[in-house]
Amino acid sequence: MIVQAICFYIFSAIAVASGVMVIAARNPVHSVLFLILAFFNAAGLFVLMGAEFLAMILVIVYVGAVAVLFLFVVMMLDIDFAQLRSGAVRYLPIGATVGIILAVELVLMFAAWVFAPEVGQALAAPMPGAHVTNTAALGDLLYTKYVYAFQAAGIILLIAMIGAIVLTLRHKPDVRRQKIGVQVSRRRTETIALVKVKAREGIGEEEGVR
Amino acid sequence: MPIAPLPNLLAALPEIFLAVAAMALLILGVFQGEARAAKEVSWLSVVVLVVAIFMVGAQNGVRHVTLAGMFITDGYSIFAKILVLIGSAFSLILSIRYNERENISRFEFPVLVLLSTTGMLMMISANDLLALYLGLELQSLALYIVASFDRDSARSSEAGLKYFVLGALASGMMLFGISMIYGFAGSTGFDTLAAHLGGQATPSAGLVVGIVFLIVGMAFKISAVPFHMWTPDVYEGAPTPVTAFFSVAPKIAAMALFVRVMVGPFHTLLFEWRQVIWAIAVASMILGALAAINQRNIKRLMAYSSIGHMGYALIGLAAGNAIGVRGVLIYLAIYLFMNVGTFAVILSMRRGGKMVEGIEDLAGLSRTQPAMALALGIFMFSLAGIPPMAGFFAKLYVFMAAIDSGLNVLAVIGVVTSVVSAYYYVRIVKLMYFDEPAAGGAFDRHIGVEVNAVLMVASIIIMFFFLYPAPVVAGAEAASAALFPG
Amino acid sequence: MSDFWSGYFWPTVITILEILLVVIVIAVAMAYLTYFERKVLALMQRRKGPNVIGPFGLWQPWADALKLATKETIIPSGANATIFLMAPMLLFMLSLVAWAVIPFGEGLVLADINVGILYLFAISSLGVYGIIMAGWASNSKYAFLGGLRSAAQMVSYEVSIGFVLVTVLLCVGSLNLSQIVLAQQHVWFFIPLFPMFIVFFISGLAETNRAPFDLPEGESELVAGFFVEYSSMSFALFYLGEYVNMILMSAMTSILFLGGWLPPFGITPAHAPYGTIWFILKISFVLFAFLWVRATFPRFRYDQLMRLGWKVFLPASLFWLVLTAGVLVWAGWLPARV
Repeated sequence: MIVQAICFYIFSAIAVASGVMVIAARNPVHSVLFLILAFFNAAGLFVLMGAEFLAMILVIVYVGAVAVLFLFVVMMLDIDFAQLRSGAVRYLPIGATVGIILAVELVLMFAAWVFAPEVGQALAAPMPGAHVTNTAALGDLLYTKYVYAFQAAGIILLIAMIGAIVLTLRHKPDVRRQKIGVQVSRRRTETIALVKVKAREGIGEEEGVR
Repeated sequence: MPIAPLPNLLAALPEIFLAVAAMALLILGVFQGEARAAKEVSWLSVVVLVVAIFMVGAQNGVRHVTLAGMFITDGYSIFAKILVLIGSAFSLILSIRYNERENISRFEFPVLVLLSTTGMLMMISANDLLALYLGLELQSLALYIVASFDRDSARSSEAGLKYFVLGALASGMMLFGISMIYGFAGSTGFDTLAAHLGGQATPSAGLVVGIVFLIVGMAFKISAVPFHMWTPDVYEGAPTPVTAFFSVAPKIAAMALFVRVMVGPFHTLLFEWRQVIWAIAVASMILGALAAINQRNIKRLMAYSSIGHMGYALIGLAAGNAIGVRGVLIYLAIYLFMNVGTFAVILSMRRGGKMVEGIEDLAGLSRTQPAMALALGIFMFSLAGIPPMAGFFAKLYVFMAAIDSGLNVLAVIGVVTSVVSAYYYVRIVKLMYFDEPAAGGAFDRHIGVEVNAVLMVASIIIMFFFLYPAPVVAGAEAASAALFPG
Repeated sequence: MSDFWSGYFWPTVITILEILLVVIVIAVAMAYLTYFERKVLALMQRRKGPNVIGPFGLWQPWADALKLATKETIIPSGANATIFLMAPMLLFMLSLVAWAVIPFGEGLVLADINVGILYLFAISSLGVYGIIMAGWASNSKYAFLGGLRSAAQMVSYEVSIGFVLVTVLLCVGSLNLSQIVLAQQHVWFFIPLFPMFIVFFISGLAETNRAPFDLPEGESELVAGFFVEYSSMSFALFYLGEYVNMILMSAMTSILFLGGWLPPFGITPAHAPYGTIWFILKISFVLFAFLWVRATFPRFRYDQLMRLGWKVFLPASLFWLVLTAGVLVWAGWLPARV
């Protein structure tokens, strides 16, 4: 157990610290890299809880795909952090007010945290037995009980894709596109003309290069 | 390995049909190429919507719960879905010619409208907070995109961005509320929630806070005060057919969902949420009446008008009983036709091939285009709630419901704000009939057969509703009875 | 106290020794992969290749290593030193970490985890960070362009790799690598899933930035791409990482499609050491194919690369995924739950 505890504290401490660094780092690229570190440690915490499938998906989706694109964009941007900070100071009072209100609400809620008496029975998904891996358990739920939500989420993502294309794709009329079929099906006779050239006469006009 | 049995998909047939048809049309559009496909896909989408109306109509009013309890169809959902589908179909018809003229004709537009409509139907049929949220997001995401569909126009892009940012905020609030409800009640299913909350003496504070956040999210979607800030800008900036769409289908769907959530799982907490709805309704009615007075742009005016109308519809919800729900549904049905008709006129306001949106541009319309002036006059009187137009009956039913449940103050405020708002509606009629024609001359003549047809249908329905109100009233009656089986 | 020794101390020591063993074997394999590559390329081009140092030039890799180790590490001015030095280490470490789940034979695996294939996928998707960080931190336009190219390339091809993995998983019913191998006892997956095998192999080339997809390095356009500013051991680490990744990709190909440690037609028993030998042979074969491709094909242009990834492989792998699932359900061949 002691090993797990040590791991837990290492992972969570690094996660929190890198979370802080995300907003504290001066360089936006460093911020993104710290964000990635935070994701990674969160994945470690998932592993400690025995949710290995979620851990791997977190790494694959967030670290492997989303954050790469994020980093990609941030690297290309020329962000002046001093300028951003000046804005932050101006909006600090209002931001702080909203934050404090939310914090107070959370505290109030946790103080008055009373579950409805029937919560135990109402819990939607009872834990599967130990013999079922959590990958299988997730699949069992996702494709039966939550199939509707799963499909709806799929359509939402489809809309996001259509939207990105609709709002940004512009067809440029004068771009030359490679037509691989044409390229590959070209015959030797269509492109090469073998000409016997007599010495001192050169290529005749009619056979010349068109 | 055994395969899980299929859930009963028949109940969700219209939604599945719409989603699949949208994808098929998307493929068709992609393979046909940009220029040719837009018009074809648009008309096919209208056909799809009409087919979906028949599919919904073919469902009997029996309550079906399927897809692991997340999806419900009953008499209520049938009525609301038909309204939404009619609204979407009309908006699509209005959009075709406009998009071509404005050079924003692309086949993705009808596809997005179809997907958005799918989301609306899913909202109406939601029987679980998760399904509610997903339907809402499906609808909203497509709406954000169509709002900025005229992507080369700064106004349209601004409208889309504003709508997106504020919409995301509202979704966040709603999710927060949903998570609170889940935390304190232990379930997201409407049936389970209703069963558990029914047995409780006093609800926990966390649950009430969760419901309030849920109401905030819903109020944003129907643009009720104080969550209306986006409405005028988005209405003004978005392309006009999109505005027409925004003002009917999503409003009806969100309102229908609002009613279902409030009187379904949280019916036992009527006392807690009624005060919130009461305040929102009053604020919306007052703002809708006062803020519209100074507007010069007709689309902005319609934005404030729709805020006010949502306030009236909320009166029915505040009543919280079958009569109130019936009032809301009748209101939505009539509101649908009034708004579609008005926007058909606004879409025809073109001078020299360009859109004009000023209210002054309508001056003297009775002399240049008497038929259009007559139609717009009917819609304005109806929006103002002057008998014998349909709008009067809409208000009558919700006020009756309010008085029936002892919400006399609400009814009185409603009547007073209707009188105030009549000022700006009637002013348009005055402009059209008693002022000299506007400087630019008459509007362009050729407004299109399909726009004329929509205009005609809408004005006939609004004008002669009082002669034969039975189908709408009876339908609404049956629909509201489905929510109150007891 | 005896509990501590038997419960914690000795298992830890044994695990560390096992890890060391694997790392050393891989390092040696990697060293001789460079030799192998130069020899194979030379023979394909009718040259002799390294043949001066040692018998048949066999000491060549060690001479190279010694040379790189004794050079000076140069950090370019304006470079972000921390990230600049971290990038090669990250790349190399990731390429070694992945080996934890590779089964070298039945039961011969460091960590036999449930989600082994996802772990491999996750680790290989992390490799892009080493490259993109190196490109950015070098403060050089060639390096930066190389880094960006590689990020786009790896993300694009990961998508189709993901679908290939899902297709294989459908046939196995488990994410565990040993289970995947054992599921191929009757037929190796490259026969029923031949198109997926091809997609996986080519995507593997792109994923490891090997020719003909070595645009991130692109020495004729970008000098040497993302590691143009590196020298000495930091350069060597990139090199090591790249070659270990190649071996890893070959190991993955063998496990997913070529039956891992299983002998063909059962001509020998599958247990150690035969299984491991078969596994090594298969890896060597795939590695040879990697080099063969390098000797044969010219480099892809960037737009061709993207077209191949998104317009050919993605739809093709999606189609095969759906087809495979359909066939499995229709014929009732869905694997039993493990």
